Amino acid sequence: MSVQTVPNVADLAEMVEQVWTSYLDPEGVEPLIPVEKGANSSEVHSSVSITGSWQGVVVYGSSQEAAKQAAAAFLAMEPDEVSAEDLADVLGELANIVGGNVKAMLPAGCFLSLPQVVLAPESASRYPSAVQVAGLYGTWKGEPISVTMWQSRTDVKEGGVA
Amino acid sequence: MLAIIIDDSRAMRLILRRIIAKIGFDAVEAGDGQAALDTIAELTEPPQLALVDWNMPVMNGLEFVTRARKDPRLRDMTLVMVTTESEQSQIVRALAAGAHEYVIKPFTEDSMIDKLALLGLTPTGANP
Repeated sequence: MSVQTVPNVADLAEMVEQVWTSYLDPEGVEPLIPVEKGANSSEVHSSVSITGSWQGVVVYGSSQEAAKQAAAAFLAMEPDEVSAEDLADVLGELANIVGGNVKAMLPAGCFLSLPQVVLAPESASRYPSAVQVAGLYGTWKGEPISVTMWQSRTDVKEGGVA
Repeated sequence: MLAIIIDDSRAMRLILRRIIAKIGFDAVEAGDGQAALDTIAELTEPPQLALVDWNMPVMNGLEFVTRARKDPRLRDMTLVMVTTESEQSQIVRALAAGAHEYVIKPFTEDSMIDKLALLGLTPTGANP
């Protein structure tokens, strides 16, 4: 039996901080503020699947308003100008960036899918064959943000959850 | 100076366009490798710089780099992978295929400009 290590909450926090520093908060004035899981809920989300030597899903979720603010920051426009297409594009790229960096911390031999975006709560997309192994929850501009990792139950049975 | 930005995210293309404009590049955009090849084929002069994402639909960035390197018309085009693929083995694959540099997302404006400067792409001059 092999024991795999997966990124933990601290790793997720470091990755997310890099995303914020690079694109959403380059001035360092509006960081993501960590909160307890119970205080958080997502209205829209995006995900990337990881397959290969580790199998699971990385999910980025937020409120509609946080997604709109993020798209506005990425696209250098006013939040009111953000379209549904803009939201989907930026949510997908956020999942892609976080998922890609998660993959880099996993055992070699993993593959990253293209991002999937659902403009609906995370609960609308269930992961019945996976268990959550890490979750980062926070608020940005007073709006909820979450990044969660879900590992395939098959993987969990074979390797255990780190 | 002209660059082509190849990324399936419009937001990422816009960010890259803003950054390279600061060192004097105009840019054309494409959402995947095949679209980039088609765009380049229509240009009278090929771009001097290509910023290439890895994971894209239709044709990924690695295949684009491989094809670009085989095209004599694109011999002088500087190829920079800009991607979340950050494993050492992936970086080696991209460089072996012909990429000149590798930038891992997320990146800051300064880090991107510094990386391009290493390739001689600065506000005062193109690739020597």
